[in-house]
Amino acid sequence: MLAYLIFALTIGGIYALLALSLNLIWGGIGLVNLGLVGFFALGAYASALLTGAGLPVLFGWGGAIVVGAIAGLVVTLATTRLRDDYLAIVTLGLAEVIRLVALNERWLTNGSDGISGIQAPMKSALGNQGFNLFYLALVSVIVLVVWLALRRLDRSPYGRAMKAIREDQELAGFAGKNVLGFKVQAFAVSAALAGLAGALYAHFQSYISPDHFQPLITIYIFLAVAAGGVGRPAGGVLGAYVVVFFLELTRFLPDLVPWLAPAQFAACREILVGLSLILVLRFRPQGLLPEQIVPAPKS
Amino acid sequence: MMKNHTLNRRHFLGASSLLLGSTALPSFVWAQGEPIKIGTLTPLTGSGGPYGPVMANTVKAVVDEVNAAGGVLGRKIEVISEDDQTNPEAGVRAARKLIDVDAVSAIVGTWASSVTTAVAPLCWESKTFLATVSGADSITELPHQGYLVRTQPNTTLQGRKFGEFAAAEGAKRVFFVSPQTPYAESQFQNITKAVEAAGGETSSLIYDDKKPSYRSEVDEVMRFEPDAIIFGGYTPDTTVMLKELYRAGYQGKKIAFAYAVNEKLVDSVPAEVVEGCYTIAPSSNESSTAYQRLVKLIGVDSPDPYTVQVYDQINLIIMAMAAAGDSSGTAIKDAIRKVSQAADGTKVDNAVDGLKLIAEGKPVNYEGASGPCDFTDKGDISDSSFRYEQVRDGKLTLIKIA
Repeated sequence: MLAYLIFALTIGGIYALLALSLNLIWGGIGLVNLGLVGFFALGAYASALLTGAGLPVLFGWGGAIVVGAIAGLVVTLATTRLRDDYLAIVTLGLAEVIRLVALNERWLTNGSDGISGIQAPMKSALGNQGFNLFYLALVSVIVLVVWLALRRLDRSPYGRAMKAIREDQELAGFAGKNVLGFKVQAFAVSAALAGLAGALYAHFQSYISPDHFQPLITIYIFLAVAAGGVGRPAGGVLGAYVVVFFLELTRFLPDLVPWLAPAQFAACREILVGLSLILVLRFRPQGLLPEQIVPAPKS
Repeated sequence: MMKNHTLNRRHFLGASSLLLGSTALPSFVWAQGEPIKIGTLTPLTGSGGPYGPVMANTVKAVVDEVNAAGGVLGRKIEVISEDDQTNPEAGVRAARKLIDVDAVSAIVGTWASSVTTAVAPLCWESKTFLATVSGADSITELPHQGYLVRTQPNTTLQGRKFGEFAAAEGAKRVFFVSPQTPYAESQFQNITKAVEAAGGETSSLIYDDKKPSYRSEVDEVMRFEPDAIIFGGYTPDTTVMLKELYRAGYQGKKIAFAYAVNEKLVDSVPAEVVEGCYTIAPSSNESSTAYQRLVKLIGVDSPDPYTVQVYDQINLIIMAMAAAGDSSGTAIKDAIRKVSQAADGTKVDNAVDGLKLIAEGKPVNYEGASGPCDFTDKGDISDSSFRYEQVRDGKLTLIKIA
């Protein structure tokens, strides 16, 4: 049971990083990135390939951040005229493109077989249980650091400028803010975070394949951010842990409803995920931890 | 209040004697033993959704049968079904719950190759046995230390069957044409091995499956002067290829996958183009007694190959636990080949009969619904039934299942 809890909390931490990434771009500057899982995949593959080529794990993680950031730059620069639904469709397509490239470029990604045996840092020294604990601590510390940094950003003049763009980008432009510059930077940082999450995931599981990166994860993270509170980093983090807790807790419900067949129960689990999103949006649209707008200090 | 107290004395006596009695209860229950836990990890949702539910039900049905007959090692078996969502990320989370919380001895039924590859390391690290229906060659190459077997024939075995069939039909010069697929390379290597063993020769050509015409490809094929051509493609490109070969006057044998040369293809081309073409597909052993028992057990007329395989997996695992006298994953790993392929074993087609024989100390050899169910050291099945058909008078006609 303990091993399972440690595992669930580690996955929760990786989801929390993804939620922070999405919250920065969606809650912060108002761009809908439905391709989150694509950047997650890029980071995972980048780190798996770099460490597979013999580089140390830290280089792999650095590489994942860089690759994620570059991909973020390319996407924003290629879609500067797109907003809202149109950007959402393009990013959704981008994630599929990344997955299909991973599936077909066998020389690089080993195709549908995926990459197995990815280095798990310190695993031989720590043993199974030790490694799981170490990784939980590592992921949690990274989540804490990123959360603190993004909270700082959120309350800074930079964060206020981002939110001004979110509310009305023309007005922000009139006020002298470099709208495109803010968008590019925010998207790059957000994509880099998703890439880091991917790298952490790859080295935790030791195996990745194109099948890992289906849009399902993006949906879970949207649920997490919506439930936790759009526009507030703490909301995203809380939401991510709540989603993982919810997904895992529902596994134990069959004992309560023994008359349901496993297939029916599996379908009910998916229905519950959707239902909970609807209920949150209906009864608490601001999320569990609503956004705080701190007034700018008078100067 | 006082009245209540006095009345309660009798209740107190009764209750305390019950309590005393109940201390004896756990030891009584203990004699029966805690249930042995087995997990199913099948795709209940996602693209594997059509298969997983029936697979999970089949495992449950077999276990119910065994439990009704007294269980195994004097204990009942409990099945815990999880959903892998046809997704390795979700599959790993489900597998961790089965392993860490339920402490299952074995997981059966992983379907997608990516899910199996993701779950396999968790299994061998926790000494949990894993039986899968995934086909990718790479799965049994993993360092699984014996904790993994699969009942689905891999590409190597399928290639060998094509080659052996061509050689048996008297072909000396066999040509393999295929689009670029994950299987093409391994398929050709194993065809070659089988044909050369029979004194023949092979050659191959990989083509682009989006081309509208294969004139130049067919020229190259004809230059080899083959007496048998094996098609590795799917329905659309195989259709074009068959037409071009007919036009080029090819008279030799044609052998294709059953999923490529299917009813649809046969109906859509002129009869003479596809006449005489053979098709090969992995098949359940429909004439086996195990298959007929399975059909009766789950009430499905023609169960899909994965259901048939998962039926064999759960029967084998239950018998392996009995043969080892222990229900752990390691015990299953060590004993599974003793019940699947004991040379001097009595042939059995279900676990209930097998358990009786094992209790009498007799060796058993399970002959399953999917085939003989014999495993190599790597965990692949060494042989499987294949279904051979031929297009005769414009109809796919069964030749043999072997």
